[in-house]
Amino acid sequence: MNIKWTKERSLLLSRALTWAVLALAIAVLFLIPIITIWYDNVSGKEPIMPVLTVCFYLCDILAIIALWELKTLLANISKQELFTERNTRCVRIISWCCFGVAAVFAALTFWRLLALLVAFIAAFVGLILRVVKNMLAAAAELREENDYTI
Amino acid sequence: MPIIVNIDVMMAKRKMSAGELAERIDITPANLSILKNNKAKAVRFSTLEALCRELDCQPGDILEFVKEDK
Repeated sequence: MNIKWTKERSLLLSRALTWAVLALAIAVLFLIPIITIWYDNVSGKEPIMPVLTVCFYLCDILAIIALWELKTLLANISKQELFTERNTRCVRIISWCCFGVAAVFAALTFWRLLALLVAFIAAFVGLILRVVKNMLAAAAELREENDYTI
Repeated sequence: MPIIVNIDVMMAKRKMSAGELAERIDITPANLSILKNNKAKAVRFSTLEALCRELDCQPGDILEFVKEDK
């Protein structure tokens, strides 16, 4: 079977994956009490159920916000609306969500040192997205200038 | 923007409609409207040349610099 890989199919795959992960993130929201109990048991040391519950809820909410923005971004891309202010805003929100997760996990480091690794990764992704956002803003400005050059 | 595009004045003087001018200088009526309404960010030399040719005028007749009050 020879399936030709096209730009449209790639976009469709991205959209389908985003929807799947969004559904998973929403499902996780209802499973957080179970996940917290399990993680608290396997992570050892002193139990920190309330702290873990708050951290997981905050992170999941931030993930849902980021995924929703990602869904909007992909919908705009499929409509051929690429370098727009709306898309810049989407990437900026996703970037701040990453920084938010980094902050939550940085706070969790007081109880679980391993959380520092997650905080670092989240901050790093947030930083990269911030640079992408800056580039997208510059591209949107250039596109507008080009559109209004007669 | 301190640069004002006075195409309307020249069009009225030459008794030329927007549609006709757009067709003559080979731009879309939508783009001519952007230019007329001072929404354009830049004007290509080729467009300015075509405008001057069709309206039989100088660039200074179309473009005007107005000082902004600070």
